[in-house]
Amino acid sequence: MSALCWSRGAAGFRRTLRLSGCTRPAALEGTMVGLGGPRRSSSASPRELDRRKDWGLAELLEVLEARVRQLQAESLSEMMVKRVKVAQAPTVPTRWEQKLNQDKQKMQNRQQRIEKRLQKHSQKLAQKLKPRPLRLEPQLLSEELAGCLQQEGLQSPWEERLEQVLQKASEKLSVKMQAPPDDQEEEEHVSARQRNMLAFLECCLTTDHLPLAHHVLVSQHSMPRRRQLLTLTMYNIVMLGWARKGSLKELVYVFFMMKDAGLSPDLLSYAAALQCLGRVNSDVHTIKRCVKQMAQDGLQLQQLFTDLAMPTEERAALLNALLKAQPDFSPPQAPPQVNTSTLLKDIYAQDGPTSYPRLPLPLKTLQDLFQEQLRMELEANISVESVEKAPKLDRPVLEARKTLKALRAQWEAALHRVLQETKARMAREAHQGQPSLYPFLCLLSEKDLVGLLMQALQALPSQGESLMFLAHDLGIRVFNRHAVQQKQRNHQLQELEQRYLRYLHLLASDTQVATPCLPRQYWEALGAPDMPPLQPWPMPLLMKLGRHLAEMLVQAVEMPHNLGTSQGSRKLIPVLYHVYSFRSFRQIGILKPHPAYTQLLATAAESTLNFESTDVPMLCPPLPWTSSHTGAFLLNPTKLMRGVDGNLQHQRLLESCPATDLHGALDTLTQLGNCAWRVNGRLLDLVLEVFLDKGSVRLGVPPPVSEAPQPPEGVLPPNTPPARKAEVRRELAHCLKVAREMHSLRMEALYRLSLAQHLRSRIFWLPHNMDFRGRTYPCPPHFNHLGSDLARSLLQFAEGRPLGPQGLDWLKIHLVNLTGLKKRESLKARLAFANQVMEDILDSADRPMTGKKWWMKADEPWQTLACCIEVAQAVRSPDPTAYISHLPVHQDGSCNGLQHYAALGRDSIGAASVNLLPSDLPQDVYSEVAAKVEVFRREDVKKGVLVAQVLEGFISRKVVKQTVMTVVYGVTRYGGRLQIEKRLRELDSFPQEFIWEASHYLVRLVFKSLQEMFSGTRAIQHWLSESARLISQAGYAVEWVTPLGIPVVQPYHHDVKYQVPGGIQSITCTSTVDSRQKPNTLKQKNGFPPNFIHSLDSAHMMLTALHCYRKGLTFVSVHDCFWTHAADIPVMNQVCREQFIHLHSQPILQDLSTFLQKRFCDNPRSHKPSERLLLSQLQNRLKSVPQTGDFNLEQVKHSKYFFS
Amino acid sequence: MWGPAAGLPPRRVQSALAGAGRFCLWRPGAATRRARAAWGLRGFSDSYLQPLPYLDFEESFPGESRLGPEPKRYITHRGLARTLGQLLLGRTRRGALILECNPGPGILTQVLLESGARVVALESERAFIPHLESLGKDTNGKLDVVHCDFFKLDPKVCEVIKPPIMISKTLFKSLGIKALPWSEGIPLKVFGIFPIKHERKALWKLLYHLYACNSIYRYGRVELNMFIGEREYQRLTATPKSPDTYQVLSVIGQVACEVKLLHKEPWSSFDVYAQSGKLEKPKNKEISELMEQNMYFIRLIPRKNLFTENLTPINFDIFFHMVRHCFGKPNASLLHHLRALSPIDSKEILRKMKISETKKVNKMSPRDFKQVFERIESMEGDGPYKWLYDDSMDDSLV
Repeated sequence: MSALCWSRGAAGFRRTLRLSGCTRPAALEGTMVGLGGPRRSSSASPRELDRRKDWGLAELLEVLEARVRQLQAESLSEMMVKRVKVAQAPTVPTRWEQKLNQDKQKMQNRQQRIEKRLQKHSQKLAQKLKPRPLRLEPQLLSEELAGCLQQEGLQSPWEERLEQVLQKASEKLSVKMQAPPDDQEEEEHVSARQRNMLAFLECCLTTDHLPLAHHVLVSQHSMPRRRQLLTLTMYNIVMLGWARKGSLKELVYVFFMMKDAGLSPDLLSYAAALQCLGRVNSDVHTIKRCVKQMAQDGLQLQQLFTDLAMPTEERAALLNALLKAQPDFSPPQAPPQVNTSTLLKDIYAQDGPTSYPRLPLPLKTLQDLFQEQLRMELEANISVESVEKAPKLDRPVLEARKTLKALRAQWEAALHRVLQETKARMAREAHQGQPSLYPFLCLLSEKDLVGLLMQALQALPSQGESLMFLAHDLGIRVFNRHAVQQKQRNHQLQELEQRYLRYLHLLASDTQVATPCLPRQYWEALGAPDMPPLQPWPMPLLMKLGRHLAEMLVQAVEMPHNLGTSQGSRKLIPVLYHVYSFRSFRQIGILKPHPAYTQLLATAAESTLNFESTDVPMLCPPLPWTSSHTGAFLLNPTKLMRGVDGNLQHQRLLESCPATDLHGALDTLTQLGNCAWRVNGRLLDLVLEVFLDKGSVRLGVPPPVSEAPQPPEGVLPPNTPPARKAEVRRELAHCLKVAREMHSLRMEALYRLSLAQHLRSRIFWLPHNMDFRGRTYPCPPHFNHLGSDLARSLLQFAEGRPLGPQGLDWLKIHLVNLTGLKKRESLKARLAFANQVMEDILDSADRPMTGKKWWMKADEPWQTLACCIEVAQAVRSPDPTAYISHLPVHQDGSCNGLQHYAALGRDSIGAASVNLLPSDLPQDVYSEVAAKVEVFRREDVKKGVLVAQVLEGFISRKVVKQTVMTVVYGVTRYGGRLQIEKRLRELDSFPQEFIWEASHYLVRLVFKSLQEMFSGTRAIQHWLSESARLISQAGYAVEWVTPLGIPVVQPYHHDVKYQVPGGIQSITCTSTVDSRQKPNTLKQKNGFPPNFIHSLDSAHMMLTALHCYRKGLTFVSVHDCFWTHAADIPVMNQVCREQFIHLHSQPILQDLSTFLQKRFCDNPRSHKPSERLLLSQLQNRLKSVPQTGDFNLEQVKHSKYFFS
Repeated sequence: MWGPAAGLPPRRVQSALAGAGRFCLWRPGAATRRARAAWGLRGFSDSYLQPLPYLDFEESFPGESRLGPEPKRYITHRGLARTLGQLLLGRTRRGALILECNPGPGILTQVLLESGARVVALESERAFIPHLESLGKDTNGKLDVVHCDFFKLDPKVCEVIKPPIMISKTLFKSLGIKALPWSEGIPLKVFGIFPIKHERKALWKLLYHLYACNSIYRYGRVELNMFIGEREYQRLTATPKSPDTYQVLSVIGQVACEVKLLHKEPWSSFDVYAQSGKLEKPKNKEISELMEQNMYFIRLIPRKNLFTENLTPINFDIFFHMVRHCFGKPNASLLHHLRALSPIDSKEILRKMKISETKKVNKMSPRDFKQVFERIESMEGDGPYKWLYDDSMDDSLV
């Protein structure tokens, strides 16, 4: 009953809100966005409103029935009384009696009338509550079609009807068929409601609710206004569903509806019809009729096989039908595709020496590893033992764990209940013809869904999580699990297994393959291409689903109100609260756990961490990348190009470009992912020692929160003045802030170290993908080689290589590089230095925590230590050249962005300063800039500039370094000034009152110096950004193709807001990646130069990687830092330089100019004079490619310090 | 809850002393719209990729525009100045300490000095300072002139503190002002005009400091005498009887201070000058609307009994949060809000306080809010958790 009260309250609420909403001034409206209502009432409102409705109906019915019974009883008794009366007094009725009788008669009549009415009403209600059968037969608008459908006495009724309907010309050609089907434009027409409907139908198909989908389609079709929203795709989806089942009757119904809506069938419709005919084994005549009609509509039979992607089984059914009609038909075979890029010619050349590396594991082991990984992905998540010190298992801890366990069991049951209720309600909605979330809730089993919610609850941080984030997260998880489960259907799993096991023959150490080839090529040769991926759900739908799930949590999860204190009454209170947080102009809905629950979790101190299977490195070699959506994890869907969720433009671009263009990227990513790793156990022990002790900020091991400054203890005396309290508050706030920051750092390290511990004695793989510019990243987020010094030091190549003649020297040089002590010395000097400090190195290796701790002073202490240990072992081995080393040795590009600019512009001075020219000592661009700045400063001193005088002796490499480094990536004067200000602040002797002025002055000089040194760079940057500005102003996002053929588009658009109303609160999201919006000119313009340079450095990395692979090297990269075994460094360096020359020998800017002109200027879509003017401006700009200098690229070949 | 972001209004200067042109010329290059847009964009980011702005060698420095000037109003009529002087000083003529914000030409300063008060002139515009200093020549050091912007005292985030931005601690120390305990008298009076575009922001900032006993309120119950626009005045003094304007600021403000209206001055006594220096009718609709309103001269004295055992400078942020939460949906019942604010049994609280369960938030007086807050804060025996709020949830207002 209380629920009822609540819902009524909530309903009242909504009404008042709506009323007030009308009177609220428009300006305030915006700020109210996202505010639905705090917790409970509104959380429960949609649900309970419905329940109320249902309850109301049920209740009303009950009342009515009771009333009927009562009335019947009453009238009966009255009748009896009457009879008795009549029997007793047979005398002539008096006038009063007559009157009385009349009245009684009237009353009776009235009662009867009421009775009847009530009965009718209750019947109606009963009717309403009873689930109606799903509608199958459509209601058609066109009488002709309807007549056709009603026709009787046909021999094989459905086939003949199909023939008839095929002949009927559509009354009006659909708009979409007339316009050329352009993906992007088509999408613009699709409204949110349509997308919902589409997703609903598709989901019904996958969850086997086809009759429901059909029912909803029929219902919507019979309402004229709704019908307008239905698109050809929707009919096609339902039709395809029936085709798969071989139900011709229903398929014909849909065909009728489609014609009735005035749409003409497309390739997909015909494919469905033919497939169905193939399945029902129909007669030849119908099929021929169908094929003929297809030809009349201008569609080729071949297209069925080339343009549509379908599973083998469906293809067979389709072919079955076609062969009946045309016995000589054979589906076209796709010709083998070869990459034709000039840059990659060598890679894909069939001849020439190739010695692709193999993994250091035998086939049997790899096969077992595959099974393990498969199991892990099927289980969806994995619990990992935490490395945090286990608490003493005393009574409170055990008790807390017990309570928690009991509560969780309760919660699971409650969630099951709520889920079932919700599903029932949604199913009713769908039965009423509304596309509801029902099929989406059926995607996963109830157990899985409850498990997912329990995990979300477990992972909820104590300060709460914004509802938007939570909803998105839950939605994505459901989608991903669903995608994994999809792959388990139709023997796909077995197919994958067989194929993968055969694929391992290419990689294992003890097998042979006929011809050496790249993993992708081998994989492709092993079977048919994969199915197209699941289309991502539209964002609003994802949010809606996620929000529904979150609401269930809020609703179902309860705990006793005196948790943790004495046991008393068992009153239940909610665990989760929907509260609002205020951030300047926004109100953010947050789900926050009850503090007592957080406390309980903390007391229980459970020692396992839960990870999604995609957050953990893989236990077997990743699937090779074969297309923009297949590769990496075995079952979990992974995108080749990562991006913000809901960003479809990259995916679309990748899918529309020729498959061969991507080969370079696909093969590089496969190769990077195939590098096997292991944990450096010795280092892990040492790190854990520090971690479990007190941490160390200096060494990058975050200390535990217990090390945070403690707030003042004790209760304030009652008469403390406000001023003192204000002070206490400040102290408290500070302590809290520090503790929070420490906690988040600590947790990050905890995840990393726990994963490392978990993988300690194993070999694992880091699958890679790339961002939109082609830079590569490992997919598992917590533990990978891209992280900090600490993370990098924990990783080693699983494969070892003997050091060989030069390996030890390279190890030593690497060691010195890591210390950062001899940056400006020659390699020889660095080696000499290493030999000189050998004692310290050995001491560090032997007694890292107790000795002289030389390694701790290095720039990268943990990596230095790892290297010290490696050097020590190598030196002490009987034959250092035979020592098997697993340590990756790095080679860093010196200011890689500027290197690319200098090469593009053939800047001689610039090239020399970033080591493109051979020289005896490494050049240091930062020092040179600093020197140049110093020259300018001296001049100003002469002019009597005060700041210049103040800065005497303070201009150093360190002050300008960060700014110079980031200039290539587009740092502005503003950002540059902040960087310099930070550096100046660190200088104790610098007069702090001049900081602002000095930083302002310095950043100007730095920019001026750079401009002189890299004049070509400046021109190129200007050209790029001006072109981008014009392209963006013409209404396009900037697109280009990297030298390796990867298509790039900049995802910067104007914000678009979409609202997901209803539920616990309405959610408003902003998206900047919506390609239907106009491009954001500022971002497009500012982003183009750095993004373009990034796409070049990624191309350089990919070329180097592929060539190294061909030479049998192990190679990984952290953007412009390349790693390989010590023995292979000379080979890698040579490849790296050659490929840099190779890359820049291409007419890169010229190619870019040609591409942009072709893409944007050739077919102006508008005839407005202003736009044409803009385009002609653009064309002129693009034609004037910047002039280049006279630097000779070939010199790079001999530059020792190019990458060092 | 917050007003719409104002566009850049035309410059307004009010001057009887000097030609309007002179005032205009003092203003350094105004912020361009573009620079502002660029500034606003800084915080945006994609999921992992920072927007990479293009390096523009000739780019104007955006830092300047941020601190860019805004039009200011000054007291220029001697008559008005006299009235204000009387209102300000009341009976306590001698020895009163008055902090005058942006005195500009110093008309009021002169009046105040003549009546024997000690005046500290905080002037943010450097150009006025020599003139102001000349006023204090023969007053035995009764006038201190400091280059300082009162409304930018104690910034929360600022890399470099340099005049006119100052820290109140250093300022007051240099002026030799001592702190008075909260329960005692008024250490000093402040006179000023709220900045046109940021009335509300400035008000919020002051209230935040007041509750936190921070900034100027570190020195006791500082009395503010301020000119404020009509709209803000109405908001500040709204009660449940005027539901259209009743909002968070009204509650927070009235709980903290006594608000007293001293004087009304029509806007029309202020002229609006365009850039060219000519007197023009403003085109901006918002400004012309403003022009039809009055300026309200109000006095804000912090209440002696603001802080109690349950509402203190330690927990005031919870109070702020509570009020903001409630006004997020002012038509909802108090019960409804309390359920999202506190895990304590809300019905119980309302029953104890004898408040009806259906009482709507916008029918509660400011005092009611304080009482409800204090009641929950003083609840005992219902577990240690009184609020769901924690201070990572809201960004503080300044």
